[in-house]
Amino acid sequence: MKTTNTLMAILAIAVMGFSTSAMASGGGAALKHAEIDVTNQEQLRRGLTVFVDVCMGCHSAKYMTYRGLMAYPELALTREEVDDLRGDKSLMSGMISDMSPEDATESYGKSPPDLSLIVPGRRGGADYIYSLMVGFEHDPDGKIPDGNYNPFYPGGRIAMPDPLSWLDHDAADTAELEQQAHDVSAFLAFIGDPHQNERRAIGCWVVGFLVLLTLVLWRLKVEVWKDVKH
Amino acid sequence: MIEKMMKTQLFAWVDRRTGAEAIIKSQLTEYPAPKNLNYMWNFGSLALLMLVLQIVTGIFLVMYYKPSAEATFGGFTVAFDSVERIMRDVNFGWLIRYMHAVGASMFFLVVYLHMGRGFYYGSFKEPRELLWIIGVVILLIMQGAAFFGYLLPWGQMSFWGATVITNLFGAIPVLGEYVTQILVGGFAIGDPTLNRFFSLHYLFPLLLVAIVGGHVHALHVVHSNNPEGIDLHKPEQMIPFHPYYTIKDAFGVAFFLTIYAYIVFFNPQFAGYFIEVDNYVPANNLSTPAHIAPVWYLTPWYTILRSFESKLIGVLAMGGSLAILFLLPFLCRSAVRSARYRPVYRIMVIMFFVDVIVLGYCGHSAPTPTLKIVGQLSTAYYFLFFAALPFLPKFEKTKPVPEGI
Repeated sequence: MKTTNTLMAILAIAVMGFSTSAMASGGGAALKHAEIDVTNQEQLRRGLTVFVDVCMGCHSAKYMTYRGLMAYPELALTREEVDDLRGDKSLMSGMISDMSPEDATESYGKSPPDLSLIVPGRRGGADYIYSLMVGFEHDPDGKIPDGNYNPFYPGGRIAMPDPLSWLDHDAADTAELEQQAHDVSAFLAFIGDPHQNERRAIGCWVVGFLVLLTLVLWRLKVEVWKDVKH
Repeated sequence: MIEKMMKTQLFAWVDRRTGAEAIIKSQLTEYPAPKNLNYMWNFGSLALLMLVLQIVTGIFLVMYYKPSAEATFGGFTVAFDSVERIMRDVNFGWLIRYMHAVGASMFFLVVYLHMGRGFYYGSFKEPRELLWIIGVVILLIMQGAAFFGYLLPWGQMSFWGATVITNLFGAIPVLGEYVTQILVGGFAIGDPTLNRFFSLHYLFPLLLVAIVGGHVHALHVVHSNNPEGIDLHKPEQMIPFHPYYTIKDAFGVAFFLTIYAYIVFFNPQFAGYFIEVDNYVPANNLSTPAHIAPVWYLTPWYTILRSFESKLIGVLAMGGSLAILFLLPFLCRSAVRSARYRPVYRIMVIMFFVDVIVLGYCGHSAPTPTLKIVGQLSTAYYFLFFAALPFLPKFEKTKPVPEGI
């Protein structure tokens, strides 16, 4: 029995070690922390506004449909609000930018990635997005032009030109720009897995039930086994 | 409850035509199991549970999944789109898909613990050699199924993982190129690869079911080993499988499902170990990810592969590291089964478990010179462990084995 316990402990530690060893971010610079709450409707709606006004100039989120903006209770936009956003696009259409990938490639040298899965698809997730938004700086070596230098981006040279105009902004605007970056990070974290709040809510009940079931079966096991002599 | 059911007229009718009563008695209510099995003996039933869960969730996923690498808007493909459709638009599709993706890792976790139990208590030794060998076949088919399944979402790691692994077959002399082309269905991973991997991903679990049936049958012929590793014959040493082990397994299942559900509902990516970050990026044959690594359950073998400069030797070593598991019952010559009474083997086998975990860590991490040496040393110990087994009885002083329990 003792050896079994030792064995189980070794394996448990190994598994925990695997899960907790955090992965380094791609860019090297330590990420800034994004203050996001994917259950906060106000923050998500503010993030949606930033997304539509700024990001969608070039980026799309093809897996986030206009219908979804109404259907997910976290956003719960009205039909009128969605109609304003979508123009002549179908309700079932994803949020597709008006800039074509070809035009974007011509202007910026590469096609902007779709943002539907940008948070689960990047190491650091929402923190990485937030850090990018407020990470534009002057290149200390003076090699990379302003607006293309971002220490949080792998290699430092990013094709996306400073979307929130963070570089050389007025000190008075810092709080507002940071808030926009937090909000859009929250929105992107939400659309990366739009059922995540529902999942966690159901999960509490499922895990709660299973804990009770485990306790009941454990007592039942002890009861059945009490006549077995060791 | 079973006794009551077996007294009904309906059961009598079925029994006359199937011999159900004899089967239930010999396999369940009068099937003798050692009374001293510890909780390490729970992992067989858990592995069976995971096999069933993977098949059931997989069948539902196939109803919505589309195996096509045809490009769609935004650099995605039909296959990637269909997975996201499952995650977003199919009712409870996210649940089914996370259960399947997390289930793959949990399946390997319980199977590795099940195998570790066999290593530690000598469950592979006479008369259970064939039982062990069937188990190794199951492991190989599982690894194949997992590899084929990982391509299906057509993410970056799907694509590049499949590229790396299928290229390995190119190292085989003379036939290598031909074998790779047959496997891939062309000269590079593409739509034909996706379709044949999908087909094989459906075939392999069916093979698994059949072979697991053989595994359980073989077990019921030779019966369970036990922590003392001794042969038990006396009736007072045995208890019937039902109700004692059915309730113990049910408790184990509930405990395991609690952990499984916690991961599925609260942490399905498991920090990139169960679903890799790069696989949320659509496959792009023009952009190689900075670091390509298989999912954790294949990384120990990946390290063995990477430990050799020559690709051919690396491939042979990786194949050999799995093939040597078939030989374990014949390499291990000691008459004593359980590591409890084999002081040297006990240290060796615990070091072997740590070694495999270290190998896994090295395979998962980005390669560095230090990790390379650690990986090479671990690879050396992996093979040394097996090489030393035949000579162990010559100098190992085993402790006296108890007469009974």
